[in-house]
Amino acid sequence: MKEPELEQIRRFGKLRIAEHWLNAGTFILLVITGLSQKFHDYYFSQWIIMMLGGIDATRLIHRYSGVALALLTLNHVLVASFGVMFLKWQPSMVIHLKDFRDAIDNIRYYLGLSDHPARCDRFDYKQKFEYWGVVIGGMLMVATGAMLWFPIMVTQVLPGQFIPVAKALHTNEALLAFLVIIIWHIYNAIFSPEVIPIDTVIFTGRISRHRMMHEHPLEYERMFGPIQPSDQPPAETDESTKQPTATIT
Amino acid sequence: MLVCCSLFLAYPVSEAAFSESDQACLGCHSMEQHKTLGNGETLSLKVNPAEIEKSVHGIIGCTACHGFTANDHPQKTYKSKKEYRAIAARRCSTCHSPRDNKIHEKIISKDSSKTICTDCHGAHSVRRVSELSKGNQYCLACHKWEISIHFANGANETAQVQESTLKESVHKNLSCVDCHVRVYSELHPVREFKNRRDFSQLMAENFKRCHFDKYTRTLEGIHFKVATQGNTKAPLCTDCHGTHGIASAQKDKLANAKKCEQCHAGIYAIYAQSVHGAALIKEHIEDVPVCSDCHKAHDNEGPHTANFRITVPQICAGCHSQKEIMSKYGLSTRVVETYLQDFHGVTMKFYKQYGQAEKKIAVCIDCHGVHDIIKVKSEDAAVVKQNLTKRCQKCHPGATTNFPDSWISHYEPNFKKASLVFLIDWGYRLFIPFMIIGLLVQIVLHLWRYAVNR
Repeated sequence: MKEPELEQIRRFGKLRIAEHWLNAGTFILLVITGLSQKFHDYYFSQWIIMMLGGIDATRLIHRYSGVALALLTLNHVLVASFGVMFLKWQPSMVIHLKDFRDAIDNIRYYLGLSDHPARCDRFDYKQKFEYWGVVIGGMLMVATGAMLWFPIMVTQVLPGQFIPVAKALHTNEALLAFLVIIIWHIYNAIFSPEVIPIDTVIFTGRISRHRMMHEHPLEYERMFGPIQPSDQPPAETDESTKQPTATIT
Repeated sequence: MLVCCSLFLAYPVSEAAFSESDQACLGCHSMEQHKTLGNGETLSLKVNPAEIEKSVHGIIGCTACHGFTANDHPQKTYKSKKEYRAIAARRCSTCHSPRDNKIHEKIISKDSSKTICTDCHGAHSVRRVSELSKGNQYCLACHKWEISIHFANGANETAQVQESTLKESVHKNLSCVDCHVRVYSELHPVREFKNRRDFSQLMAENFKRCHFDKYTRTLEGIHFKVATQGNTKAPLCTDCHGTHGIASAQKDKLANAKKCEQCHAGIYAIYAQSVHGAALIKEHIEDVPVCSDCHKAHDNEGPHTANFRITVPQICAGCHSQKEIMSKYGLSTRVVETYLQDFHGVTMKFYKQYGQAEKKIAVCIDCHGVHDIIKVKSEDAAVVKQNLTKRCQKCHPGATTNFPDSWISHYEPNFKKASLVFLIDWGYRLFIPFMIIGLLVQIVLHLWRYAVNR
C-alpha cells in the first residue's frame, strides 16, 4: 500500500471539474460587470466600465454572463436530478439535521469544548452551505436579473412594483454572494492552513487518501472500511499530520 | 393804433434790446391775445420778449422774418396752426438754404409742405444749433418731433424719440452717438435702407462696441447660426433688449419671457399653461424658470443638440436641488440625486462622462415634459399616470400602465412608499453583516484551533 498522503483517490469527474471552471469564470465576469454598476460612483468602477467599452458594453457582458449562469444552473439541476433519479447517484448534497450538528460540533471543537471535530460525509456542512448558496442564490439572481432585463414583459403580467423589488433583491444578493465567496470560499480553498497554497481537488479531481480520511471520514469508511490507527501516517512527518487527528476510532 | 401805443408805453421792454420797430410790434404782441383760426384752433399771438432776446435772431428784428412792420400789419386769416406755421417758415429759406445740410435737403425733398423749419428749431426762441447740442438735446431737437424715416420698400417708420424713454433706460447716461456711431453732431449721414430690418441689423452691430463678451457668446448660439443662413428674422440684440428704452434684462422675468414669445408664440402658449409658466404669469412667482434660464440667452445652442439633452439634468438641478427654493413649495431636493442613482441616471452619467452624448437615454424632460411640465402631485393621479405611460412608450414600446410603477418616483424607499423594497434593503443590511461576521468568526476560530494544536 502506498503512503496515504501520496495515494490519490478520484473524487470528481471531468464534467464536475469543467462545471466548476465554467461557474467560476461566469461568476467572476458577473461580479466584475455587476459590482462596477452597483458601485458606479467609485473611480475604480468607472475605470472598469471604461476598460470594458462603456456602460452599454458592460451591461451586455453582464447580461450574457447571466445567460451563461442560467444555463449552467439549469444544466446542473437537470443533470443532478437525472443522476439521482435514474443513475442511482447518492444525493450527497442534501442537507440533513446532522449538518447542523456538525457545525455546532466543529465550533465546540474550535473552542476546545470537544476533543474531536465533526465527522463528515462526502460533503461537509461548509461545502453544502456554499453549494446551496450558489444554486439558490444563482436561481434568485437569474430570475431577478431576467426581470430587470425585460421589465416591459414582466409588467405586462405583474405590477410595476416588482421591478424595484427585483432590483433590491438582485443588488443585495449580489453583494452577499460576492462577500461569501471572497471571504469564505477563498479562505477554505486557498488560505486555510489545511490547503494553502491551494486546494487542488476541484482542478485535478483527486484527493489524497489522507485528506479524505480526515475531511470525509464517513465516505472513506463507506468505501474502504473503518479507518485503522495504522492508516495514520507517523506524527510530525508531514505538514498535514499536524491536523487534529482525534477522530480515530 | 392809439391802443397799441398806450400798451407799448405800459410794457417794460428793455429799450436797448429792441429796435424801435420791434418795440412797436411787442407793444401789442407781448400781451395775452388770441386769434381763432378757420378750423377752430386758437392761435396765441403772444410773444415772449425774453425768448427773442436770447434767440440768435434777436438782432434781426421782427420784420426780417415776418416781412411787415407794425404800420403795414396785414389782416390775414389761416385755416390752421399748421398752415400758419408752414407759411411763416417759408421765410427761413430766404437766408438759410436747405442745401447747406444734407439731412435737411432730404427731409425737404420728400415733402416740402410738411417740413416746417420752426417745428424743430423754434420760432421766436430760435437758437444756434450748437447751443442745443449739450447731451442728447442736439439730436432730440429734431428727433423729439414726429419725424419719420422712409425706407426703399416704401415703408415709413417713425424716427421720433421720447426723451422720457431715454431717461428711464439703463443707458440714460449715454449719448445718442454712443450707439449711433456713424452720426456726428455736424454731419447727419443720409443713407438708404431697404427696410426697417436692414436698419436694425446695422444698428445692432453697434452693440459690439461695449458688449463684446455677449456678442462673442452669440456666435455660439442658434440665433446667430440661423442669421448666417440668411434668416433675417433671427433676433438681434435690439429685438430682445429694446432700443431707446433698453432695460436691464434681469429685472422682470415675465417681460423677459415675453421677448421670446414674439417669435416663439406657440411654445410660450404651452409654457404659460405649465406649472412654471402658470406660477409666473398668474401668481407672479419669480422663482420659476423662464425661457432663458434653461436655454440660456446669448449662447443658446438650440434644444435639439445631443449636448443640450445631456445637460438637462444639470439645468433642472440648478433649481431643484436648492433647498431654499424648493422648501417654499414643499418639493424634494433629492430628485436629481435619485435620478442619478437609477438606471437612466447612471446611464446618462456614463454617456456624458465618455462623450457619448449622442446616445439617447431618458433625462428629466422625457418623463416630465419640456414646456408642458405639470405638477406630478396633481389631483388627478390617473391622468398623470396615463401621460407618463405614453412617455415611457416613446422609448419602451409595449409598456403597459403597470410599467411606470417600476420607477419609484424619486422616492427613497421607505416603509410607506415601496415598502417591500425598503424591507428587502433593510433585511440584507442586517443579514449581510450577520452572515459575514459569522463566517469571519468561524475562520478566526479555525485558525486559532490550528495554532493551538500545533
